[in-house]
Amino acid sequence: MKLWTCLALASILLGSANAKSASGDRVLVLVPKIESAKHYSKFLGSLETRGFEVSVRAASNTSVALQIDGERAFDHAILLAPAAKKFGDGLGPLDFTRFVDDGGNMVVAASSELSDFHRKLAAQFGVVFEPRSTWAIDHANYLKQNNASDHKVVAASNFALAPAILSPEFASTSAKSQPKPTVYFKGIAHKYDAANPQLVPLLTGAISTYSGRDKGEKPMENTDTPLSGKSLGLVSAFQTRGNARVSFAGSTAMFSDALLSKRGGDNQRFVEDVAKWTMQEKSVLRETGHRHHLSATGEQPGHYRVSNEIVYEIDLSVYRDDAWHPYVADDVQFEAIMLDPYIRITLNHTDSAGSAPDTATYHGDIKLPDRYGTFTFRVNYKRTGYSNVDVKDTVAIWPLRHDGYPRFLSAAYPYYTGSFVMVIGFLALSAVWLFSDEPASKDKAGAAASKEKPKGKAKHKSS
Amino acid sequence: MAYKVFGLTASDQTSLLRIAILGLISIVAVGSRLYSVIRFESVIHEFDPWFNYRTTRYLVDNGFDKFWNWFDETAWYPLGRVVGGTLYPGIMVTSATIYNALHLVNIPVDIRNVCVFLAPAFSALTALATYQLGKEVKNATAGLLAAAFIGVAPGYISRSVAGSYDNEGIAIFLLVFTFFLWLRSVRLGSALYGALTAIFYFYMVSAWGGYVFIINLIPLHVFALLVMGRYSNRLYVAYSTFYVLGTLASMQIPFVGFQPTFTSEHMAALGTFGLIQLVAFASYVRTLVPSDQFRMLIRLSILGLFVVGFGGLVLLTMTKVIAPWTGRFYSLWDTAYAKVHIPIIASVSEHQPTAWPNFFFDLNMLIWLLPAGIYFSFRELSDNHVFLILYSLFAAYFAGVMVRLILTLTPIVCVMAGVAMANVFEIYLDFSKTKAEAENMAVATAPAEKEKEKGKSQGGAGEPPVAVAAKTLYETAGFKRFYALFPKIVVVANFLYFLCMFQWHCSWITSSAYSSPSVVLASRGPDGSHHIIDDFREAYYWLQMNTKADAKVLSWWDYGYQLAGMADRTTLVDNNTWNNTHIATVGKILASDEDTAYELARRHDVDYVLVVFGGMLGYSGDDINKFLWMIRIAQGVYPDGFKEEDFYNAAGEYAIGDTASPTMRRSLMHKLCYYRFHEVMGPQGFDRVRKQKLPKDITLDNFEEAYTTENWMVRIYKVKDLDNYGRSHHAVSAFEGPRFKNDFVF
Repeated sequence: MKLWTCLALASILLGSANAKSASGDRVLVLVPKIESAKHYSKFLGSLETRGFEVSVRAASNTSVALQIDGERAFDHAILLAPAAKKFGDGLGPLDFTRFVDDGGNMVVAASSELSDFHRKLAAQFGVVFEPRSTWAIDHANYLKQNNASDHKVVAASNFALAPAILSPEFASTSAKSQPKPTVYFKGIAHKYDAANPQLVPLLTGAISTYSGRDKGEKPMENTDTPLSGKSLGLVSAFQTRGNARVSFAGSTAMFSDALLSKRGGDNQRFVEDVAKWTMQEKSVLRETGHRHHLSATGEQPGHYRVSNEIVYEIDLSVYRDDAWHPYVADDVQFEAIMLDPYIRITLNHTDSAGSAPDTATYHGDIKLPDRYGTFTFRVNYKRTGYSNVDVKDTVAIWPLRHDGYPRFLSAAYPYYTGSFVMVIGFLALSAVWLFSDEPASKDKAGAAASKEKPKGKAKHKSS
Repeated sequence: MAYKVFGLTASDQTSLLRIAILGLISIVAVGSRLYSVIRFESVIHEFDPWFNYRTTRYLVDNGFDKFWNWFDETAWYPLGRVVGGTLYPGIMVTSATIYNALHLVNIPVDIRNVCVFLAPAFSALTALATYQLGKEVKNATAGLLAAAFIGVAPGYISRSVAGSYDNEGIAIFLLVFTFFLWLRSVRLGSALYGALTAIFYFYMVSAWGGYVFIINLIPLHVFALLVMGRYSNRLYVAYSTFYVLGTLASMQIPFVGFQPTFTSEHMAALGTFGLIQLVAFASYVRTLVPSDQFRMLIRLSILGLFVVGFGGLVLLTMTKVIAPWTGRFYSLWDTAYAKVHIPIIASVSEHQPTAWPNFFFDLNMLIWLLPAGIYFSFRELSDNHVFLILYSLFAAYFAGVMVRLILTLTPIVCVMAGVAMANVFEIYLDFSKTKAEAENMAVATAPAEKEKEKGKSQGGAGEPPVAVAAKTLYETAGFKRFYALFPKIVVVANFLYFLCMFQWHCSWITSSAYSSPSVVLASRGPDGSHHIIDDFREAYYWLQMNTKADAKVLSWWDYGYQLAGMADRTTLVDNNTWNNTHIATVGKILASDEDTAYELARRHDVDYVLVVFGGMLGYSGDDINKFLWMIRIAQGVYPDGFKEEDFYNAAGEYAIGDTASPTMRRSLMHKLCYYRFHEVMGPQGFDRVRKQKLPKDITLDNFEEAYTTENWMVRIYKVKDLDNYGRSHHAVSAFEGPRFKNDFVF
């Protein structure tokens, strides 16, 4: 939430007309040497044409700082120097994780000369790169060129089903007739944590892909089965709980001009997708407002009462193609939780085209549970590739007021009758007692009783 | 006695004296309760008073209607507490009324001061009520003595010092006054006094759960009188009026509701009500059909009815039509019951059985005057005296079972002591007959007197040593008078000495034992200097100032009311221990290892964990010492994976530090208490409560130290948020390195 308001604010403040990212346009590109940037001129050029403010720095440049006075100095960082042991003036992995914690986005490119720095950094995100000087190798799918062939340049086409990240042509699985898009990849493979929902393996190996050493080099120790197939990650994307995005690619080469322009490959499109996603140019989801109120009166009280009927609404918009659009889906769910969810319903998308054209409003008519306590109203919307939307409101549900219960129950009519009959009977008896005369005849049997009676009578009258 | 002083007749003089004495008693009663305010400050004490104070503030701020319907969502998170329906509103309404009355006449008193001084003010009223009670059962002398006793008796002071803003503060006054009204209504057979009894009974019901004592004792009194064949129309009028009005009135308190109709605690009253109707009917029939055998028949039928009624009660209870007795009541009969079945009740120190010295500590000489009072009551044995005897016996029994019930014993002990003393003084302070006695003595010179005289001359203090001239001395009128006076003087002097000692004892106890607010502690340095230890308020203030307004703080339930009252933060459990499961969950969190605890704490949206730790200061009432109860309570609800034995080390000791059992060392409580403690105590440091060596290298990853007070008494930890990257916090710590690496360089 907070982050989003910040981001929204930032995008307005920094909103120079050509800014494409939802979070800012300052990009730091770290390359081994300043002149090696020319290998990536196409990639970097595309960033600049998309309106980013790209600063290219050598890895060893000591003036590189991720933070200035506690503020992020850049919005995005692209690490293209896989062999560098540290950056700038002793920037370690911790500085980069802090950068991401602060909301910075990061593209990390690796190669088979990977430094410990990168290993340590990647491990924090559940990405474990293979040992040094290993390669992702595929003897079936590789870059076939006219004169030479390199089995280390894998022609990978195993894309994740993540339409929020990749363009539709990568995501389509059914179209057998079309030639499958391929991405040329030359570099190191990594293991990814398949159980981590925050990590999406965008590009994985084919069944014939494995991780190993090149011919002529020392073969790998035969301790365990080499990484291969689907579990071999080539490019993975990670989104933090704070919605910062980090991509790991095992290959710097795939960003290079050489492979980007390779015919028959879709590197250009793929790299652009990854960069766009990572740098918050697409699939950025935000909640622009949410409200709940009594359906009868439309007001929002400080607390609800049990079994109240309420309306819950939330507005969602998504950022793509340089603008915020309504986010349309049919799986936005609302929960009312007190330790366990008491209510979980799907909210319906309603058209609210009039007032705010860039948001979609989701609406739910909810009958609160017949249970008092402190509930959390929550919309916890987490979908692969999209930013997390987790909106929580703590709402107290009070029991009925002491006079809020039904006054007369039809089931209790016999009891009401009973009490009123009792009252009337008592009054009648008292009246008879008070106003009846003493029996005139005082026989012996009644003598004892009559002693008491006048006393009681006198008392009643006096009071 | 026809002398006039200042133009007042003798009876006017006595009433003036009485008023003056009662005024002085009131002043002493209030004055001796002010130690805590003078020593410390005008602050609310302990735990429960903080809840009462907070609700009173709510009542004053929001009015009665809102108070009545108040649902407190910040207590028992996330369950909440229906405050209006689960408290005895008497004390809050009383304070708010006083507050509003004072403001009406433009006396701008803070509500806190009204609350702080409420109990002392009511203790003065209690003294007056006790005077009335004593006067009712004996005479004004007994009343004055009883009033003087209750004014300073430590058994009552312990619950009514200034700042001890608890239900008992007003309830004892109501208890005594209700009993007084009851006795008067029985004596007079007056429906008016019966109705007044019911009204004060209603006030009592609104003020304290101890009203159950009244609603059982009065029927018991009636029942005893019936069995003794002392049925009278007076009794019938008094009890019928009281029971009908009192029960209907008591049902207006939401917390009581329909309980008088279906719980076992109230069944005795209902049964007795039915019984007295039958007896009344029978005695009416008897007036019509006089018979000598009738009396016998009635007694038998009463017994028969009692047996049938009791049997029916048991049957209905067994078939769950009538709610069975609550655990607290079972523990009144079987002191071991609570420990086995309901650890949450046994864990409260004031629910423990009373140790013998406690009686002397709290009641001093009154405790041995109680049997004397019972004896004198038996000698007269009017209806009222039957009541006194029953009250004494039952209160004495209950006081023996539960420490805190000494409180209900105290009034009757004071009254009985007053009765006993009054009897003693009646005989030994009556000098009008001495002259006549002396002359009678002169006539009969018994040989036994010689021996007595000898003993006396040895022990007698002010007597001239003239035993040599004995023979003639017997005959002198002066000696005879002296001989008649001397035993009286000895006895009276003796009792005066006891009275002085009693007052001295009471003041000393009050000053040394019962005047500590327990929120603020005091200690003395070796040089006699006075230190105020204010860690609790420091911690609560820190929470109030530094955490979000809706932060949820987990602590053991003891501190729930204080947290709500002083820190104004949401708590999971508090001193209103209505939900055992929730308390057990908190116990489980504190007793589990770090990861389990973290998961549970996050599930309950806990933001901060607060523990009280006395190892630095030697404060023995800390959480480590309470920890065994937490384990027991948690074990009762979550039997799997919890065993009390696991927390003892191989030697079977409840140890801390490196000698502790692995489970103990892993437990969150142990970690939170000792985290970084060795850094401040040094390598040779030890825990000053447990007198054991400190553990070293306590790692804590899922929780982060947020605040520790000056004397380390309160430690507050923040529950870390989930990691941004989904790592475990252990992995984060391993990656980021030790957090406090260079903190202690000096």
